[in-house]
Amino acid sequence: MIRKFQKLAFVGALVATTALAGIPAIQAQEGQPGGTLRILGTEDLDHFDPTSAALVTTNNFLRATTRQLISYAASTDELVRVTPAGDLATEVPQPTDDGLTYTFKLRQGANWNTPAGPRQITSADFERGVKRMCNPALGSAALTYYTDLITGLSAFCEGFAKVEPTVEAMKAYIEGNDIAGIETPDDETIVIKLTQRAGDFIFMLSLPTSSPEPIEALDYLPDSPDYRTNFIASGPYTPAAYTPDSALQLVRNPAWVAETDPLRKAYVDEIQLTFGLPVDAIMQQLQSGDGDMTYDVTIPPAVLQLLSAQGDEKLMTVSSGNTNFIFINTVSDNNKGALRDIRVRQALNYAVDKAAVVQQQGGPEISKPVNGIFGVGVLGYHEFNLYPTEGDKGDIEKAKALLAEAGYPNGITLKMPYRNKGIEPTIAQTIQASMALAGITLELTPVAPADYYSKFMTNQVNTKDGTWDIAPVGWTPDWAGGAARSVFQPQFTFNGTHQTYNYTDYNNDKANELADQAINAPTAEEVGKLWGQVDELVMADAPVVPLIANLIVLYHGEAVQNFQPYSLGVQGDWTNVWLQR
Amino acid sequence: MSTSATTPPTVVQRSSLDLTLRRLIRDRASLVAFIFIVLLVAFAAAAPLVEAWIGHSPIEQFRQTGLSPTGLPVAPNAEFRLGTDQLGRDVLVRLAYGARVSLLVGVVASLLAAFIGITVGMLAGFLGGWVDAVLSRAMDLIMSVPFLLCALALVSVFGPSLSLSIGVIVFFSWTTMGRVIRGQVKSLREREFVQASRSLGAGSLSIMIVDILPNLSVPIIVYTTMMIPGSIVFEATLSFLGLGIVPPAPSWGGMLADAGANSIYLVAWWLVLFPGLALLFTTLSFNILGDGLRDALDPKARPIRVKPKGAKP
Repeated sequence: MIRKFQKLAFVGALVATTALAGIPAIQAQEGQPGGTLRILGTEDLDHFDPTSAALVTTNNFLRATTRQLISYAASTDELVRVTPAGDLATEVPQPTDDGLTYTFKLRQGANWNTPAGPRQITSADFERGVKRMCNPALGSAALTYYTDLITGLSAFCEGFAKVEPTVEAMKAYIEGNDIAGIETPDDETIVIKLTQRAGDFIFMLSLPTSSPEPIEALDYLPDSPDYRTNFIASGPYTPAAYTPDSALQLVRNPAWVAETDPLRKAYVDEIQLTFGLPVDAIMQQLQSGDGDMTYDVTIPPAVLQLLSAQGDEKLMTVSSGNTNFIFINTVSDNNKGALRDIRVRQALNYAVDKAAVVQQQGGPEISKPVNGIFGVGVLGYHEFNLYPTEGDKGDIEKAKALLAEAGYPNGITLKMPYRNKGIEPTIAQTIQASMALAGITLELTPVAPADYYSKFMTNQVNTKDGTWDIAPVGWTPDWAGGAARSVFQPQFTFNGTHQTYNYTDYNNDKANELADQAINAPTAEEVGKLWGQVDELVMADAPVVPLIANLIVLYHGEAVQNFQPYSLGVQGDWTNVWLQR
Repeated sequence: MSTSATTPPTVVQRSSLDLTLRRLIRDRASLVAFIFIVLLVAFAAAAPLVEAWIGHSPIEQFRQTGLSPTGLPVAPNAEFRLGTDQLGRDVLVRLAYGARVSLLVGVVASLLAAFIGITVGMLAGFLGGWVDAVLSRAMDLIMSVPFLLCALALVSVFGPSLSLSIGVIVFFSWTTMGRVIRGQVKSLREREFVQASRSLGAGSLSIMIVDILPNLSVPIIVYTTMMIPGSIVFEATLSFLGLGIVPPAPSWGGMLADAGANSIYLVAWWLVLFPGLALLFTTLSFNILGDGLRDALDPKARPIRVKPKGAKP
């Protein structure tokens, strides 16, 4: 779900966090409250509304302003960072009823910051949040995870889809209908019934998209300007002054009670976000102390090199399970449907020089070649390569032979769009150069960064009309560790309804079957093994060309102390840093 | 030995071209600019030779020798005289091919713009009346369009290409020429030689081409020359914004854009310096040459000798 294509990825995988240049020992020190945390970014948040928020970076905003049933402690320790912990829930429950029933108790004293003063967050608020996920105006991109699992949710959503997307009609439907599988026997108890066992269900409840919503939220269209103006926070901060595309100020939420929140310490008094800055300016301001943290910056390899050469201790890499790969368009009739021929797709897999992409990305310290759909750290990732080439540099001869066999002895011309942002144009030219050696001519088209996924790739007309033949994309799992489902299901399954990020409606029944077994497998070992088989089955069809798995590099200003990454935001946790100026 | 002292001074008859050239050559700055342009043209023309001599194609990526293991460009050295760029390509070879693009766009766009400007200016100035009104307002209209914004919009719609770049540049740069020509023609058509031609039975077209056009040669030469640097910079701007020449084909603006992207300039000064200097000296040379040509072609207006350097009327 979520637009994982942000280079910044989502959730941490099981690789230890390391500093690039010597690891400074984190001193056990008392936090100092106070001060303004200045965060610099290039682009504004996509949504305030947790239901529809889809960018990894937005999760940091939602960490500060909203609370979920389950969340994670911010930590430099990878294991701590990806271990679910109770947020609004008093603890992480063990499922009963053969893994089909989850019972949560809500923390007392955790409040909404309503205009009338603090009000306790209740179980009904949680159910309302889930109901809002399939609202017909602006729903959740992660919906299928939940509709597949929560009893009665698909029925609820089917009915909701027929409702007029107006405030009144949606409010009436939400208030007048129930989800069979979510019971709220009292204000502090939530019982969720699942249709099948799912070891990763707890992780889904950590996604901000399933956050509770107050009743007042139904008075506005989801994420409309009115919704934003009347945002009701439950986290330690609440939005104050907001100028779209320019600045956002977060101030303390008076209704938040520190004792009810074990995960957020909320040291700083105020958080000031500034958007619309160039990456260079952001990095310079961080180094000069005019800024404290970055919002959505991928640190360019050149800057990274300079900083690590200086032995800057403020650099930190975290793993997110993020991978970059090339999606192959098997739908369009370009080149007489050449890409429907598996030999052509295999030729693409052989032709690409993954080592070159790694080099361009900043070298082996921050990325490595991958040959399957899962990134490093995702349970199910394993070393295998159905299209092995020496040193991952590509095998030109094999690619040419496969092309010739498929009836293209003189090569083939393909259209490849790319997102015109950061290092991506360079990567596109790297791919172009390596494919050219095998006789595959790539016509590159730059696409505006803001449009690449939202308007270009996810527009099915572009896929059918063959506006693109192959396209470099990225994906970050939605949650940590056992996240194979959140890579496989949204991108490589098709049940008759088009999924946004499975651009070509790819499906493999055998793989689906194995995936079902994997989701329900009893031991982590078996889960990993089964997902590994899914990975190999998918790659045998070659619907994509896997490129690289990335580590995410984080940097912050001198004044920032206790910089501990929050796994869903892949960034130092705003609610746990303190400032020392 | 002493014959020269006794020989009477010879009077040499010089043609107007001869005089112009002599005046031009006496102007040192123009001479240097002219030599630079000749060298640049030679450099651009010899781009394939440069490629063959060095053995690097402009789009070949030298991943082993031209890039560090972490993907950073290497500084100027024996193999890469001007260093490599972010993809490990040879900057010198790209500079040579980029010069072709710059000159091609600069010269072709300026000639086309001049042609349109002359035609429209002559028609407006000579015919007067409603033709003048319509054409002049059209020129006003085009001049009042925010050209960069409009160019960006056009290129975004049609996709970047060399011909579109030239088209956009021509569309926005012919108006200056048009206005100047119109003014000149308006005053020329009242002159006696035009009336003489007309009384001999010459038609409007014949008068325009046979009588008036030759009298416009000075402004045409000067303004066309001065338009070239503008076009080169315009092309570089479009390429810099990613809307000009399509990568991986090299262009100076594109090379500067590459240097600016991803902070690569912080570790690779050569990526900014060489294309930047090439662009600077090229536009400077065309400007100086244009200035010099104006002085040389029209000595009455401003005698070179007393002109303080850099003064503009």
